[in-house]
Parts: sequence; C-alpha cells; structure tokens
Amino acid sequence: MQLNEHSAMERLAALGMDDLPVIAYTPQKCLLDKDWFKKYSQIRREFLESLTDSFEEIAFMNLPQEEFVNLIMGKVLPDNLSIRFRIPLLWGGALDISNMFLCWTFPHAYNMDRFIIEQSDAKTIYLPNPEKKVYLTSHTGGGGAGGNATSDRLTQAAFNTISARGNE
Amino acid sequence: MNKNEFLSLIKSRGATIFATGQLTDINITNTNLQNMRAAMLPSFLQDFYTTSFGITLGSACIFGPKEIERGTKYPLPSITKVNQDMLGNKNLFGKTIFGRNDLFLFAFDTFGNCFMLDNLTLSVLRKYDDPYRAMFDCLIVGKI
Repeated sequence: MQLNEHSAMERLAALGMDDLPVIAYTPQKCLLDKDWFKKYSQIRREFLESLTDSFEEIAFMNLPQEEFVNLIMGKVLPDNLSIRFRIPLLWGGALDISNMFLCWTFPHAYNMDRFIIEQSDAKTIYLPNPEKKVYLTSHTGGGGAGGNATSDRLTQAAFNTISARGNE
Repeated sequence: MNKNEFLSLIKSRGATIFATGQLTDINITNTNLQNMRAAMLPSFLQDFYTTSFGITLGSACIFGPKEIERGTKYPLPSITKVNQDMLGNKNLFGKTIFGRNDLFLFAFDTFGNCFMLDNLTLSVLRKYDDPYRAMFDCLIVGKI
C-alpha cells in the first residue's frame, strides 16, 4: 500500500504514535556481510553504552531502579525494550549508532513493524524516525505523585524535568 | 531438541516462562485461527501450551493463546491478536505467526513446519524442521 506523508501520519496516529516523525525512503535491496550478526551484536552494545546522554527520556519510562541503572550503565536491556534501525539493514541502512533508536517493544516496536509491513509492496516507504535516541509517546510520558521508592524518585525527577520545561 | 531441553536451555539464558492456562483457551484459539484461515496450532505448540502460555526473553517473545498481563509492563498480546493485526498480507497466507524479536518474525504452516520471516516484508528467510530450534532462535536474539 503506497502511503503519502499525510496518510502515513494518520496511520501512525491510529496505531497510537501520532507524535512519531517519519522519513520517506526508497528501499535499496542490499546484501549483508557474512559477519553482520557479530557486528550487529557489537553495535547494539555500543548503542546501549551510549544511552547515558538520554537520562531524561529513560527516566520517563518509569523503569524499576535495577533496570534503570543497568540500562543507563549500558549493561542490560530490560524486558520489553527494543533497539530498532531507522533505516533497516536489508534496505541499505548503516550498522551505526546514528541509525538506531530505543523504544518499548509492546506496543511501539510491534506497531512500527505493522506500519512497515503494510507498506512492504510500495515504492516509497515511510519509516519511523524519532528525533531522539529514545522514542516515548507523549501518552506514556508524565510525572507522578512522588514517594520514597527509587522508582518514585525517578518519577519525581521526570516530573521536575517537565515542570522546568513548563510543559505541565 | 525436545520440549524439556528447550525449556531448560532458554531458562538458563534468563527467559521468563509464563504459567499455562485452561485447555479451552487452546481450543478457542484454534477456532479463531481457523476462522481467519490461518494455520491451526500444530501438535508441538499445543503440547508446549500445556506447559506455558508464553515466553519472553528481552525484546523477544513466543505468543500464547491468551493475552499475558505483566505488571507495569505492557501486556503480551495473544497469538490470535497478532495474526488478526497482520491479516491480509499475501506472504502470510497459510501461516500463523507465533513469535517475534527485533529482527525477525517466526511462523508455522498447516504442516507444522516453522519459518523465520523478515520483519519488513514477511518473506521466508529460513525453514526449520525442528520447531523447538525455531523457538530457541526466536528468543535468543532478544538477549544479545
């Protein structure tokens, strides 16, 4: 199904991601190197280690303390988080950190898969292309009432960030 | 690889294995898949569902007959919901998706053969004779 930018945004809104920017891309079929999986594993690790600059966005995810620290330290990717390519490898995307972003597996990565599969027979494909390294919809972001648990403190930090920006 | 070997192997990698449910859920899933003209559950998966209704490992998962609540995390959709969402794709005719990771989707056909599909066009990348090897390959990518 060939979409245009307007219909692509409409479809994303229907999938609950109305604030997700897209990029129009003409897929170029390309062959992967024999050792692509090894390189892919390596670049995923490098991407994880580079997430220290995305503290604010990750704080909005309200992860439990252990998962939050492990993620910020680049050690372990918690359950239900996916690392995706902006331009898929099979369509000519680079194995590079700048071509990757982090998002929830369910519902976002799953719905992005659906969005791309629906366009698979089109000449020009609209691909999800978030502005930052971490994609989190405005529906799922937000602060909390605060408290003493670490998760509450993280929630409070996220809330303070929103307040400082005047986006309450 | 048999079911016990698979479960033991995947557990040692840190997978979360969810509890099983009622037998009627498996029968209802089969009816729903039949109504969608998707492949019905093969014997290996029906047998697997008597032990567990789903597995997750990082971002990879095996879907079960029912949606699985995961506390604060978003629920894991049922195999019926996933295949309803993908309904109409010509590459999926006669197949049913049962697992996903960040790179691939995994499906079975009416004969119980398993396939690795690419998550862009759903074209077949690999065919498996051993269904538990397919399930293992599906999950292990979630924790690389």
